[in-house]
Amino acid sequence: MAYINQKKYYTNDGDNPTDSNWGSYQYVSLDDIVTNFLLMYDGNHSLVNNENRYKILFHAKRGIQELNYDAFKEIKSLELTVFDDLKFVLPSDYVNWVKLSLFKDGVVRDLTENIQVQSAVSYIQTASSTFDYEADGVTVKEEPSSIDTKRLDGSLQSIYLNDVVDENIDPNVNNYDSDINNSRIGARYGLNTETANINPTFTIDKKSGVINFDSTMANQSCILQYISDGMENGDDSLITLNKMFEEYIYAYISYAVLNSKFGVQEYIINRARKDKAALLRNAKIRLSNIHPSRLLMSMRGQNKWIK
Amino acid sequence: MINSVRNTVLAIINKNNYGYISPSDFNLFAKQAQLDLFDEYFVQYNQQINEENSRVSGTGYADIKKGYEEVIDYFSNNEIILSKITDPVRNRFSLPADYYLINQISCLTGGQIQGEAEKVSSSKINLLNKSLLTSPSISYPAYTQSGNSITVYPNTFAGEKDVAATYIRYPLDPKWTFTTISNGSPIFDQSQSDYQDFELPLDDSNDLVAKILQYAGISIREADVFKFGQIEEQSQNQQQ
Repeated sequence: MAYINQKKYYTNDGDNPTDSNWGSYQYVSLDDIVTNFLLMYDGNHSLVNNENRYKILFHAKRGIQELNYDAFKEIKSLELTVFDDLKFVLPSDYVNWVKLSLFKDGVVRDLTENIQVQSAVSYIQTASSTFDYEADGVTVKEEPSSIDTKRLDGSLQSIYLNDVVDENIDPNVNNYDSDINNSRIGARYGLNTETANINPTFTIDKKSGVINFDSTMANQSCILQYISDGMENGDDSLITLNKMFEEYIYAYISYAVLNSKFGVQEYIINRARKDKAALLRNAKIRLSNIHPSRLLMSMRGQNKWIK
Repeated sequence: MINSVRNTVLAIINKNNYGYISPSDFNLFAKQAQLDLFDEYFVQYNQQINEENSRVSGTGYADIKKGYEEVIDYFSNNEIILSKITDPVRNRFSLPADYYLINQISCLTGGQIQGEAEKVSSSKINLLNKSLLTSPSISYPAYTQSGNSITVYPNTFAGEKDVAATYIRYPLDPKWTFTTISNGSPIFDQSQSDYQDFELPLDDSNDLVAKILQYAGISIREADVFKFGQIEEQSQNQQQ
């Protein structure tokens, strides 16, 4: 793959999308990684030899996946509207979430994960342990479950402050049955910071692939920041790696191949392991962008009085 | 080269009136001898690599491997479009009849190489197709071989000019041709349309003579001729 000239970089020679090359110089493609590895680290006179290309490809992709999980800091964002069903379907390339925000009135508000259960599956029951079954033996579900119904109609009580309705609070009566959910009690005698958030709350149902919100989120705009595994929905031609990690990925592939190969001396495997670990450390430091100017900005606060 | 090899073989055989090798017999022995030496090139190439890895091989004029590579590359046919077999699957292509070793299978779309297909054993291809990370793709295609045909994955490569091969072919069969027979001896004539010289380099002529002598010795039932050829070959191998 040849380097592209500046016209191609800025305009993609007029082909759509014209911005497809912007920022591309930071990255090296999967194709380049596999080709370079086979050329430079694999062969008759190399430690790695007689390996199938699909094994190299597998380890290259696995290495990129692992880097995407933490080292890369490549966070994707998706904005969707949460409708009356209070669901946000996870993106197709979702692996884990970083932050969920409510975007309202031009302000981005961070949302809190609800530690209480907000959704459940329910079976139709006629008596204890007596369920209805489909023809194929599957238990008939009650949809939605009671807790989901309550959550959807806004009557599900919560320990979070966003659920507080002032008129429900009787300052003269301490009602243990209902006031547990009116967290102003906590506010009076010591705020529970874990639940002290006025914004909507959410829980992530990983298996169902949705984020469930409480009823205060209905018809609001939600921004999900999440990480993916960098596999670009299976399109190998789009898989890239930051150049800071290029040397690391070669070391990772070498180590992964040597470590799983029969008859390789332990000292060679150890050398490859140390190589890999050291290069990962270096790359992480490089990517952390520790600039003197940033340190200076932080240091300027050192004389500030703590009241 | 073929005429000088034949003359040498006949000179050795006729020295003690052991016998005579007819042109057709010579051509058969020559073909066999050339194939033997051709095969040996690959074995010797591998040995040379092992020697390099043991650091007992040199560079420059001492780079023996380079010489072997040059000989093997002489037989390389590059980017030959493979003909498509329509039955039973759409992505099957037939290999050239003269191939000895497949070097590379290229998958193309509209004449542009998309990826180099990797050979995968038939026992692995189903697993590979099921794998999310390594299933054959346009960038990383794969193929399996069955008989004289290959099946390319993914099956999007199914066009008439979608698959090309770079391969090492067998050497052409040598043929010592003649026109007339004068005084009982055929006269060498290389202008015949079916004339074919040896395709191995000139320095293999000694080995060719030794090999042909062994076959000829068996043919004319002369153990001395066979042994002479064998000793000659051994001495050549030791020198290498």
